[in-house]
Amino acid sequence: MKATTDSFLVRALIGLVFLLVNIVSVYLLLRGHNLPGGGFIGGLMTGMSFILLGLVRGWEELQRELPVPPLRLASFGLLLAMITGTAPMLFGRQFLTQYQLHLDYVPLIGEVHIGTPLLFDIGVFLLVSCITVKLVIVLARSTSGLPAFTPGEVPYYASELEGPIEETANKEDRHAN
Amino acid sequence: MNNLLVLPFLLPVLTAVICCLFVGRPGVGRRVFIAISAAAQCALAFYLAVRAFHEPPLVLLMGGWAPPLGVVLVVDGLAAIMLCLSTVVALACILFSYAEIPVWAEQPLRLPLMQLLVAGINLSFLTGDLFNLFVAFEIMLVASYALLTLEANDRHIKEAFPYLAVNMFGSALFLVAAGLAYSVFGTLNLADISRRAEAMQGDFGVMVVAVLLVVVFGIKAGVFPLYYWLPNSYPILPFSLGAFYSGMLTKVGIYVLLRTFGTVFPHNLTQLYTALAWLAGLTMVLAVLGAVSRNFIRGILSFHIVSQIGYMILAIGFFTPLAIAACIFYVIHHIIVKSSLFLIGGTAMFYNRTDNLARMGGLLKASPILATCFIIQAFSLAGVPPLSGFWGKYAIILVGLEEHRYWLVVAALVASVLTLVSMLKIWMGAFWQKLPADGTADPEAPAAARTMTAIVCALTLISLAIGFGAEFFFGIAQTAATSLLDPAQYREAVFSLTGKGGQ
Repeated sequence: MKATTDSFLVRALIGLVFLLVNIVSVYLLLRGHNLPGGGFIGGLMTGMSFILLGLVRGWEELQRELPVPPLRLASFGLLLAMITGTAPMLFGRQFLTQYQLHLDYVPLIGEVHIGTPLLFDIGVFLLVSCITVKLVIVLARSTSGLPAFTPGEVPYYASELEGPIEETANKEDRHAN
Repeated sequence: MNNLLVLPFLLPVLTAVICCLFVGRPGVGRRVFIAISAAAQCALAFYLAVRAFHEPPLVLLMGGWAPPLGVVLVVDGLAAIMLCLSTVVALACILFSYAEIPVWAEQPLRLPLMQLLVAGINLSFLTGDLFNLFVAFEIMLVASYALLTLEANDRHIKEAFPYLAVNMFGSALFLVAAGLAYSVFGTLNLADISRRAEAMQGDFGVMVVAVLLVVVFGIKAGVFPLYYWLPNSYPILPFSLGAFYSGMLTKVGIYVLLRTFGTVFPHNLTQLYTALAWLAGLTMVLAVLGAVSRNFIRGILSFHIVSQIGYMILAIGFFTPLAIAACIFYVIHHIIVKSSLFLIGGTAMFYNRTDNLARMGGLLKASPILATCFIIQAFSLAGVPPLSGFWGKYAIILVGLEEHRYWLVVAALVASVLTLVSMLKIWMGAFWQKLPADGTADPEAPAAARTMTAIVCALTLISLAIGFGAEFFFGIAQTAATSLLDPAQYREAVFSLTGKGGQ
């Protein structure tokens, strides 16, 4: 099954759509602390944008063009969130205590109010978006006849029988009792 | 300032993340690191338990936000007991998995995921907030889905599917229940819910929330009409993980049932208790019949989990202080015994290269120590005095007689006898009979099997200590039950702390 679509319009516009979706998702991420939004929702949106990209350009190419392995970035996000939570404990405050910084005037932007919750949210954002991307890539690849993992990933993630689903389903069961 | 309370959750998460980020490949160094971390979690849990039993419940306001706005972590007696058990079993299973699989064959994500599973389980014991409990369940379940299918082949994945479907349904229902609880009580903080539920006793909304939560936690615990996902999915796990799943996952359901009935809801939901008790009776008998019908070790033991869950739910259904204490004692006994039986099965499989009873045999001669451990744990599970299972069952049946619930008592006794029958089935198949002609056996006991036997022996010793020191452990269970059944104490501990956004 070919995963790409042949519509010229979609192919031409996907870059723009990808950009727009991600602008909205970063906006959601930044407003998240005091208003509806935040790392989780932003992360889901970014994940969706990658799914769109994969549907249009093909999963092979998407995987090739990802700058970093998604699972590493996801672990890094989790680590960032945990460090933000843990750091106040070193100063004898409660886990997840937040510190705020209010600047009355920053050139070009104006009034800025930032705090450590933003770091936590960025961690969650990375975690959610990267896990989504990873899950969808693995699923989409194995249902479209491609091996789920690239050769470089196999020693890290793949179990013994990993392969395109249709293919292994027809093989005899190697672990028959 | 009780920042220590977050560590039982934080340490496993950090361990998992560090493993994923910096040591992606399995190796001896990584194994040592994870073992040290697991031992540290264990020590921390025992330290918290000592403090929880000598002080009022320990509370941590996360981020310094006062309840009911902020999320609180609470450790009281019961939570501390559960933390100790989960970390001890996790340590045993991690060490066992080192012996079970050589370094080169280890799945790289297995131990990090196991640590995330521990983190989710610990968080669900710690939390004092309904939505946070949902999050903890999700962490636990996502890790367990991944672990269940990580090393599975196609047929195993088919067995994992009901587990996934039923638990996702349960999670969705939990979310609905949490939303409903918020609309009925206007809060998700457990202490605050208990305060408001007490004021609105007899309200229909309280009953609806309670019933929904019972269904959700019943699915997690594996109570009668909702248990069929369990007995077929657990046998696909490797033994070391199966031991942890069978010990801890369903017991999280029991813990939250105890917590919601003991601390959160007013103690007058009599119809619900009665319904639970009858469901528990059915669970015990039907599941033990399933166990008798199976012919491989993992299958028999998996059905037994459900059957034993029946005893704990039965104790919750009786809902007297003694019954709750018996339930807590039973949980302590059950987690250790059930995990060690799974690990004994794993060692037996190591000797025979299969756990199909028709093709096993000769283990009594091959490893008398293992056989001794098995017979002790099997009798303990069935409830033969003076082993640990006897005291739990004795107390539960005593309460049943006091309450004149004779049919349920009969069900409990029948289930005990059938438990013994199915345990003897394993004994005859794996240990007593000679190795059949088509069976395989490793004639030389390698070093790995010796390590496994040592771990099993340690767990058996703990279980013997519970049996012979029943007075001490029952005392602990009673202390925990008393504080569990005293919502006022819990509320006071939670609301006595001041923080940002307080009332």
